Amino acid sequence: MYDIVIIGGGPAAIAAGIYAARKKMKSVLVSDNIGGQSVVSDGIENWIGEMIIPGAELAGKLKKHIENYKDDIDLAIPQLVEKVEKNADGTFKIITNKEEYHTKTVLITSGGRHRSLGVPGEEKFNGRGVAYCATCDAPFFGGKTVVVVGDGNSGLEAVVDLIAYADKVYLLARGGELRGDTITQEEIRKSDKVEIIHFANTTEILGEIMVESLKYKDLNTGEEKEIATQGVFVEIGTVPNSEMVADLVELTKKGEIVVNHQTYATSVSGIFAAGDVCDTLYKQNNIAVGDSIKALLSASEFVKKSKLKK
Amino acid sequence: MAKITVYSTPTCGYCTMLKDFLNSKKVDFTEIDVAADQEAAKKMVEKTGQMGVPVSIIELEGGKEEVIIGFDQAKIIELLEL
Repeated sequence: MYDIVIIGGGPAAIAAGIYAARKKMKSVLVSDNIGGQSVVSDGIENWIGEMIIPGAELAGKLKKHIENYKDDIDLAIPQLVEKVEKNADGTFKIITNKEEYHTKTVLITSGGRHRSLGVPGEEKFNGRGVAYCATCDAPFFGGKTVVVVGDGNSGLEAVVDLIAYADKVYLLARGGELRGDTITQEEIRKSDKVEIIHFANTTEILGEIMVESLKYKDLNTGEEKEIATQGVFVEIGTVPNSEMVADLVELTKKGEIVVNHQTYATSVSGIFAAGDVCDTLYKQNNIAVGDSIKALLSASEFVKKSKLKK
Repeated sequence: MAKITVYSTPTCGYCTMLKDFLNSKKVDFTEIDVAADQEAAKKMVEKTGQMGVPVSIIELEGGKEEVIIGFDQAKIIELLEL
């Protein structure tokens, strides 16, 4: 029986893992890999203590840091948690694609993943023109026409990455104004390769073997339009990885785990959550780390109290 | 020994993680930077049908080729019996 099972492999999970190990809680960290969503970042400029650090380098450092405690915390990597079940005695069973773990408490720091458009053709052409990481895949679109869907920061940054390679970059925004940072807006407006289309709602991605075009609805006129393109970069935010507790704890409409923001307790006694998977206002690495440590300390108190009861 | 080719770009985080993983397991591989070599990028697309990295081609003993899309640690462990 573990004191705590930590689900996830991003900064929040690693921070909790290090604290759990140092507190000598009997603990296991379960994740498919270590790094978190920032792995795809070219350079993180707000990770405190580093002027700039590539996401993959930060992942390497997190991995090294937690592996330093491998005598005090079990690392179940790569494993994917499929379900968290509550037992009659108040303990929990964690079912992964490989094993089962029994534990007194659970800390969910499983973060988020990119949101899909959910339109016909998106899945079919994933990797065949549909992409979710411009930093990674922009070089494949040299001399081509591409569409970026999404006008938040990640969308605007995708446009910047693609300007370096593509001949033409369409940016599809749902509203009349771009949502991303003004400084990046100015940067993309300077390029004559970029064409911004407002009030556009993507409806379909078409092609034979690879992407050939994208259809969208003009939200002003209701008219359906089609753009010939070889690439579609989807940058419309993230969804929380909360499926493993979807029928167990209270979630928001967006699927975020509802937590008490002092203790990071969820609606189920013994389950805690922190970072991008929960209903935090700010999805940030530094914030996820601090919140996750608070959650771990709450879980530690919970374990101590449950021992006293017995 | 299986022959491994990793297609990557320098700014791709999952590519770096994949390469670090192979290095940590002392697995030899050939790396092709498709950002620097547009011809190689075209060949990769033709061969694998993929326009994204990382993509690894593992040529197993006996000549059978497996294409791995993304950083799929579990699949690599399985194929290379690590």
